[in-house]
Formats: sequence, C-alpha cells, structure tokens
Amino acid sequence: MLKSLLLTTTALALSLSLAVPAFADPTVIRLVSKDLLSTNPPDVAHIERIEAALKAQGTDLDIQIVDLPSSGYADALGVMLLSGDIPDLIYFQGGDTKMADQGILEDLNPWIEKSPNLKAALWPHNTERLKNYPYLLYVYPPRAPQPVIRKDWLDKLGIAPPQTVDEYEAFFKAIHDADLDGDGTPGNTFGVTTADNTNELDSIFNQAFGITGTWMKDAGGEWVSSRITDQEKAKITWYAKLAAEGLYDKEYVTSKFDVKEDKFYTGKAGVIFGSSAEVIDIYGGKMRQAHPETPIELALLPIPKGPGGQGLAATDVSKESRGFAIATTSQHKEEVAKLLDFMASPEGQMLDRMGFEGEEYTKSGDTYTVTDKMSTWYARFFAAANFVPPVEWKSAAAQESLKNITTWFKPDNAFVWPADYAADLDATENVYRAWVYKFISGEASMDQWDAFVAEWKAAGGDRLNEYARTKLNG
Amino acid sequence: MSSVDESATAIPSVSGNVPMPRRIVLGFRRWWPYYVMLAPGLIFFVVWHYFPIWQAKMAFEQVRIIPPNIWVGLKHFQTLFTSPVFYQVLANTLIISTLKILFVFPVPILVALLLNEIRGGRFRKFVQSAIYLPHFLSWVVIAGIFISILSPSDGAVNQITGFFGAKPIGYMTDGNASRWVLVFSEIWRSAGWDSLLYLAAIIGIDQQLYDAAEIDGANRWQKVLHVTIPGMVPTIATLFILNMGMFLSADLNQVINFINDVNRGQIDILDTYVYRIGLRTGEYSLATAAGLFKAVIGMVMILAAHFVSKRLTGKGVW
Repeated sequence: MLKSLLLTTTALALSLSLAVPAFADPTVIRLVSKDLLSTNPPDVAHIERIEAALKAQGTDLDIQIVDLPSSGYADALGVMLLSGDIPDLIYFQGGDTKMADQGILEDLNPWIEKSPNLKAALWPHNTERLKNYPYLLYVYPPRAPQPVIRKDWLDKLGIAPPQTVDEYEAFFKAIHDADLDGDGTPGNTFGVTTADNTNELDSIFNQAFGITGTWMKDAGGEWVSSRITDQEKAKITWYAKLAAEGLYDKEYVTSKFDVKEDKFYTGKAGVIFGSSAEVIDIYGGKMRQAHPETPIELALLPIPKGPGGQGLAATDVSKESRGFAIATTSQHKEEVAKLLDFMASPEGQMLDRMGFEGEEYTKSGDTYTVTDKMSTWYARFFAAANFVPPVEWKSAAAQESLKNITTWFKPDNAFVWPADYAADLDATENVYRAWVYKFISGEASMDQWDAFVAEWKAAGGDRLNEYARTKLNG
Repeated sequence: MSSVDESATAIPSVSGNVPMPRRIVLGFRRWWPYYVMLAPGLIFFVVWHYFPIWQAKMAFEQVRIIPPNIWVGLKHFQTLFTSPVFYQVLANTLIISTLKILFVFPVPILVALLLNEIRGGRFRKFVQSAIYLPHFLSWVVIAGIFISILSPSDGAVNQITGFFGAKPIGYMTDGNASRWVLVFSEIWRSAGWDSLLYLAAIIGIDQQLYDAAEIDGANRWQKVLHVTIPGMVPTIATLFILNMGMFLSADLNQVINFINDVNRGQIDILDTYVYRIGLRTGEYSLATAAGLFKAVIGMVMILAAHFVSKRLTGKGVW
C-alpha cells in the first residue's frame, strides 16, 4: 500500500515537473508610453488582445503598462528614468539624447534588420533618421503643416485654388475682401492665421522662396543658417506685406492652437494649417460641430510654386523628435523586438489602426464600415507606411495631404547638436523669433535686416555657423 | 486625545537630575499623541525639503542613470553664468520679482482691511467668495482670459480705451507692458485668497483694544491705523520675510503661459530658461545648479529681511 502510494506520488511529481514549462509564466515587459494608461479600459483591452495575438504566434508576453501622466509626460518620464526605474520599452517625447549619451538606449538598427515587418513599415524619413540617430523609432508619416479652407467658401470665392506665391496673395485678399462669413462686414476676415509663430507658413513657402534646408551656402560658398539668408529675407518681406494688408493675422504670436482654430471655425480666418492628416480631419469634425446646419467639408490647398522652387519644407532627418526606444538594461530585448515587429505587421496594424470590431468598425463579409467612434481612436504604436486599411475613413483633404508628404519629401541637412550649444541655440532662436514678429508687425522695417543678422550672430549664431561648417564640410 | 491630561498639576517635571535620554523617553511617553499628530508634517518636510538639500550635490555632478555620478565641480555653474542670456534672464527675474513685492504683496493686506470693514454678513460672504474664486483657476485659463481681453483687435480693454479715442495697444507684444500684465494677473488671482491670513490676524486682535480706542474717541480710520494695522504687523513681517525667500522664483507656471516670441526678452525668467535648456533636454545637473543658485540667494534674502525686520519692528521669523 505504502509502496504504491510512493510510486503514485513520484509519478505525479515527475509529471508535474515536466508540465511546468507548459505553464511557465509569460515574459514580463514593462512599457511606458504617453496616453497609454492602465486606468483606461480601451488601452488595457488593446494590450490584452495584443498579448493574445502574440501568444497565438508563440510569444507569451505580459505587457505591463507603466502609468505616467499625459500632462508633462516628458518631464515625468525623465524623473522616473533618473530614479533608476527603466522600463523595457520607453516612448520618449524629448529628453532622449541625454539617455542615449549614457548608453541607456539600444541601437535599434540591428533589431530592425532582424524584424521583417518593422523594416517594411518604415517611412523614408524613418530610415534616414535611424542612420543618424539609431535610438528612437516613430513609424508615422512626417508632420508637415498644410493649408485648408472650408470647401463652401472656396466655392463661394469662385476662383481656382492658388498654385503660386502670387496667387496665394491674391487668394488671401479675395478671402479678406469678400464677406464669406456673412456678418455684413467685408474685410474683417484674415486670409490666413497661424499659432505661436510662422512655422506653419514656412512649411509650404520655404521651398517657394528657395529656403532648401536649415543650412544653406552663402555667396562665398560657406555654410550659414538659412535664418540669415537673402531667401529668408524675401520670405519675411512677403509675410510682412501680407500682414500689412490685413491678410495675415499679426496676433499669431499670442495665439495658441485653440485660438487659431477658433478663428477658423468662427469665420475670422479663412485658411489655417493642419499638421497631419488626422489633425485636418479633426478640424473638419469641429467645423461641422460649430456649424451643424451645413455639412461643411474642408479642401486642401496646393503646395505653391515660387521664385525659389516648390515643395514642403525640408524634413529634419537628424533624429526622431519622439518615439519608442528599447532600454539597454532590458533583460527581454528579443521579446520587445518581437512586440514591435508584430505591431508593424498587417495583423498588428489592423488592431492598432482600426480599433475594435463592433466599436470603431463593423464587418459584414469582406466589407468594413467605420463607426463614429473611429474619430476618437488612435494608434498606440505605429502607422506603418505599407499598411493599407480595409476601409478608408479619412477625408479627401486628409488623404491628399498624405500624398503631398510622399511627393514632396526632401531630407533636411539639420544635425544633432552637442549639449554645449543648447544656450546658443536657444538665444539665436529667440532673437530670430522676436525680429520676425517685429518685421511682420511693422515695428521694424525690412531695412533693419542687417541689424537682425548682427544680433543673431552675436547671440551665438557665429558659433553655430562655425560648428555647422565642421559638420557639413565633413 | 483624552489620554493626555494637560492640567498643570498633571504634568510632572522631567527635568532636574533626570538624564537627557531618559527625559526624551519620558517626554515622548507623556506627549505621544501630539508627536503622532506632528509626524505627517515632519515627514513631509524631511522628504520634500530636507532630503533634496542632500540631493543638491547633483549640481556638482554629471548625473548618470546608472551610477556612479561623475564629479564635475563648478562646471554647471560656469555653463549657467557664461550663457549669453543668463544675465538678461536674471535681470528679468529681479525686475518681475521686485514689481511683485512692491505691487502684489500689499494688495491682500488692503483687501483684508477692506473686508474687515464690511458689516453686512451676506454681502461680506459674497465678496469673499467672489475674490477667492480666481485662486482656483489654473494659469492656462487665466492667461487665456487676459490675452483675450487685452487683444489689440477685439479685446475688451482696447475696445473701451478705443471708445475714448486711444489707439489699440498690444499689451502681450510689448515686453514692458507684459511685465505689468504679470503683476496684475497675479493680483487678480491671489489677492483674495492671500487676504485670508491677514483676515485671520485681524480676527485675532483683542476686541478690548477696539473698545479702548472707542472710549478714547477714535474714529474708524484711527482704529484701523492704530489698532488693526499694528495687530497685523507680526503676520505681515513673517509673510514678507518668507516671500523674500522666494524672491528669485517669479512663478514658472504663470510666465510660461504668458510668454511669446516677442515678450520673451522681457519676461523670460530663470525658471523658464532652466526649464527650456535644462529640464526639457534632460540636463538635470544644470537645472539643479540653477535651483541651488536661487536657493542660496533666497536664503540670503530671508536672513537679510529677518534681521532688518528685527531691527525695525522687533519681529522676525524666529
């Protein structure tokens, strides 16, 4: 009796020990990302189905979300990392160079080489940026602000969309002079407004004025910042002309994005810039909310030709300004790479881009239909360049803006600065911004351009130019 | 707290020949409920105010996420002091802080005096609630309100002045005007709330002093001048000295919401500068060096204000 009990116990113990690997704990991966919270049920459900999909492929992961506040995310992340708490997969929104300098971030290029889906999902600018700075991965189309106008206003104007810089000026004037908002007072609508600075205008007018990149060669063949070139002067002169004629809103400098949008929705400005396809559609949705009586669509305006050329402003490919990084301290880099590769795969993209079936979209046979909830869904990981969703829900304007980004992509020659130049960069940029406003507002005449250039150089610009020459001349 | 008998006869002396450690134990045994009540505050100060003093050594190190940190001596202070805009930023900070001490600090005192003179109970409560309210608004909202009402094209202020024939003024694009916007928005936000402490001080003034002044034939103004204000002096002196300690902290949250490309030259302060070139780029050691610099100046200001106040009014923080 005792013998048989011993045998049974031994057999049970042996079978259990053999069975242990089958019940092994999943590999724990800690993930910190902006707007990804364990207190947000859709985030948790999304992560759980990613885990399930990966498990079906033989990778058993327990992805643990590290909660950080969305507001002040970059600061909170820096403090967390500094305290020694380093998750396996980290989404940065700035502050990453300091971490890379200390060897905390993994070189992603070898991992991408081993990840076929990820490699195929990259946008052209991703590839360039990874060559220069291999620590961050942000698989999204580049952000390039592009101008939109209400389609009904465009129809009311009865003129073709502008194709050149001069036509843009005439177009803004037509908006300004016509009483498109119907308040009975012509002349109280700006042709165009921007938020904070002139960056949005620069996005489509830089190339038109011949500003081909951050660094350009001067008459003597020396590299100089484009901020102090004749092309820049010509562009600012034109902006100042627009502002003087009431076509460009001088109060851009005190307008945050919400104020800019409000001017657009309330008819105080005819044209604003959307920084991405998603943002253009958000503008469209908000415009319809503001005017529920009219089904308003937005129209994208063309990229203008000018004396210097045509195109979107050159894309900074020195590095990603945000994105995912793998920690060198991670014990599970293989698994993290598998997760990233899965998220770039068609299956992962379906989950990440389309949301949940029955929530963000419905499916009947092979036909997909998006629901209203799709407007609030966003990809938590990537928007792969090679993924074509089964149904297109973006507006025509948003789709066209994406095409423009591909058509007009041009890499910039900007580079990553050593930390020692931070104060010079800050000081020169402040000088540039202040003078640009003075020129545009009419507080300073364009005859004072040389005074601006001298002040810019004295604020550290000379040092920047010198360093740029050492970098660009090789 | 019923276990503590506070009557004089119930408290045996633990001094005399009793050795110090024994005295501490006896004292703790007798007063432990008070020590328990004190503990959260004590822990708060140790964690958030004393522990960081030790961590200020980061200002002299190159911080590494994976230790050890590298000792770099005064390198970060050198970076700070040789920065091309440091002295402009420091001057802005001093100007804005001085304006706030001169124009913001006295307002809650005046508000408390005025509130104290309101006799109608309901009206007084309404006024108090109304002026406390802005304290609960964030600077994002307040900046939005001020920028909107000060807009040169359709802001209320310029429309009113325009009615009288004045030309519109871009308050937010004129650096000097922007400094005053900081001062007035600070007054609007904090005057009501900050008056609470002074009101409490006024309430604590012995009623007999007012009665005596009444008998002496003092009118309301004379009572304010000779009873109320002298009764508030210790509170005013203490708060003034503590405010001096924050002299170089001209309020990051406020400035960051009002700053733009045009007024940056006039309202860019130490905190916003350090936030831009220190914290946002992960240069924590540089940010700590700036913080330490501010703290040392703050300490000097507190000590100076304390001794000046002691000499002039006999009151200080200790």
